[in-house]
Amino acid sequence: MIRKVSVRYAFRSLFRQPRRTILSVIGIGIGVAMALFATSWISGAAKMQIRAAVESGTGHLRIVPRRWLDKHENTLRIGDWREAEKAARALSGVDVVTMRARGNALLAFGNRTAGVEMVGVEPETEKQLSRIVQRAQLEGRYLEPNDSGKVVIGRVLAERLDVALDDELYVTLSGRDGMRSAMLVIAGLLDTGTTDIDSSFCHVTLDELNKITGYEGPGEITLLLKNHQQLQDLKTELVDKIPPDSAVMTWRDINPSFAAGIESDRAFTKILIVIIVIVVALGIAGAQLTAILERRHELAILTALGMKGRQLISLIVIEACIVGLGGAVTALLFGGAAAYQLATKGVDLATFMGEDFSFGNILFDPTVYGDFGPWLVWYSLVIAEAATIVASLYPAWLAVKTNPADSLRTV
Amino acid sequence: MKKTQNSLLVSARDIKKIYQVGKVEAPALRGISLDVTSGDFLAIVGPSGSGKTTLLNLLGALDVPTSGSIKVLDNDLSRMSRRKRADLRLKFLGFVFQAYNLVPVLTALENVEFVLELQGVGTERTGQAMNVLEQLGLSEFANRRPNELSGGQQQRVAVARAVASKPKLVLADEPTANLDGENAETLLTMMRRLNEDQGITFVFSTHDPRVVAHAGRVVTLVDGRISKDEAKSRSTLSAEQLKAQKE
Repeated sequence: MIRKVSVRYAFRSLFRQPRRTILSVIGIGIGVAMALFATSWISGAAKMQIRAAVESGTGHLRIVPRRWLDKHENTLRIGDWREAEKAARALSGVDVVTMRARGNALLAFGNRTAGVEMVGVEPETEKQLSRIVQRAQLEGRYLEPNDSGKVVIGRVLAERLDVALDDELYVTLSGRDGMRSAMLVIAGLLDTGTTDIDSSFCHVTLDELNKITGYEGPGEITLLLKNHQQLQDLKTELVDKIPPDSAVMTWRDINPSFAAGIESDRAFTKILIVIIVIVVALGIAGAQLTAILERRHELAILTALGMKGRQLISLIVIEACIVGLGGAVTALLFGGAAAYQLATKGVDLATFMGEDFSFGNILFDPTVYGDFGPWLVWYSLVIAEAATIVASLYPAWLAVKTNPADSLRTV
Repeated sequence: MKKTQNSLLVSARDIKKIYQVGKVEAPALRGISLDVTSGDFLAIVGPSGSGKTTLLNLLGALDVPTSGSIKVLDNDLSRMSRRKRADLRLKFLGFVFQAYNLVPVLTALENVEFVLELQGVGTERTGQAMNVLEQLGLSEFANRRPNELSGGQQQRVAVARAVASKPKLVLADEPTANLDGENAETLLTMMRRLNEDQGITFVFSTHDPRVVAHAGRVVTLVDGRISKDEAKSRSTLSAEQLKAQKE
């Protein structure tokens, strides 16, 4: 039993014109359901993209030589890398730590050549961190920890060089004291099905790369976290523990254009939601205004009896809140069901994108899953209530401004 | 509430009210001075368009005059904000309208209770509202909505709503206009009892002779001016008797 008469009055007033109220509720419900679905999609897609980026080799966090921030030179190495590695492994919330170094190499076979970024890796941890290594089809095998003189390259790169498994590649790259070269046997041909990755993939062990170049230690220590939400906290913690000549970068710092793309998608969705809310609010404002104008004589009587402007606004806002609540429930029924479907079944982008799911060197999942969780409840409540309350303010203001004597005289 | 004889409730001095209808000015009141004292049972009579309702709206702080001054319980209305005037109405004034004007989605009890809620009365307001209905013999209608009540019953509930907050002055605009003889008589008897027993001052606008017969003072308006202001002895005749006498 609602104790306050004003709330009972507001509630029952909505059923004077039930069709109008139901249409208002459905209008809000559909608008908010669209917003829910769009947010579920974009949020799920963003999570998928971030996961794809960090698992394609970027990692959540990366320790690099401080000078790398300015020069971006692959020849740079982390000074006290053992201290940095120890700090990374000691961090709670870290799933995988792996070390790498890079070098710009020229591969040659017969009269064919190809320029690539050769990556020196720790095979065991690289396999744990990189979805490219995990998911790709391999002819031959991936690297083993003690592999010497072995290389794994992408299928497209192999086709360009016209090489096959066990062929010997002539490798030239800049080393500590000038150009260095070596012969490497192809241990594996990696095939992800995406041209970008398969035409640039070239892995050797970290020890092998350093042996060829004459450098020592890794050029980067990459960390994959258990929970993406801990990114900033763990970065802050790590910064305090690593040697001063090192720096910590996030996946955003490493892939700024990719991160900007995700932010741009989010911003677009927010704008879309604002437009939806404005359209819904205008519709509700129209319905509310009609309802208030129909009742202006009754409201004038209440004003005559001593109802103050504040109480009148409260009454109208309570009515709006009830409509908003109905709209939120409707939105949860429709939008929640759609978001649940999106979260559990997903959308297979293969239909739209064909078989190539890479962007740069990031290997995406072909299926996008929406985000689904308790946030749907508060999200729909906040949007529906905000839209209806904002929509009710003008009719409420009009009701307060109306002179009761005028309303009583003219009706 | 104790009846305080002869204390001044309302003092209106040379009030004028001009309505702007498009580009045309329509004077409704052309300089009215009137005092209403505590305990009055005052009828404002006059033909249609003479300014009765306008005067009632001004006395009830629903509107402000174009010129002149009105003091209600020593409060100068022209110096009061809308909010303060609303507060004055809520605390000291009650209204009864021609067309009953109960809130249609609330029961009789809730209509009365609502005014008490607006006044800030707590949970005890339901009991208080029920008491008022009982005192006025309306308890059996407490849980009925206005569309389940006759016109007479609705108007009696409207009076209950007007007096629930124990106002000093009740303003009634043509309260019997839509009622038959018996219902009008019941209503007038009820209001007279409230006037005599509880000291509530009543000011009516009317052209119903049954109301005039019950009034202790009659102010006649003609063309926005007071043409007559006379005290009279109240009739003890019923509406039916008055009608018979008239015939």
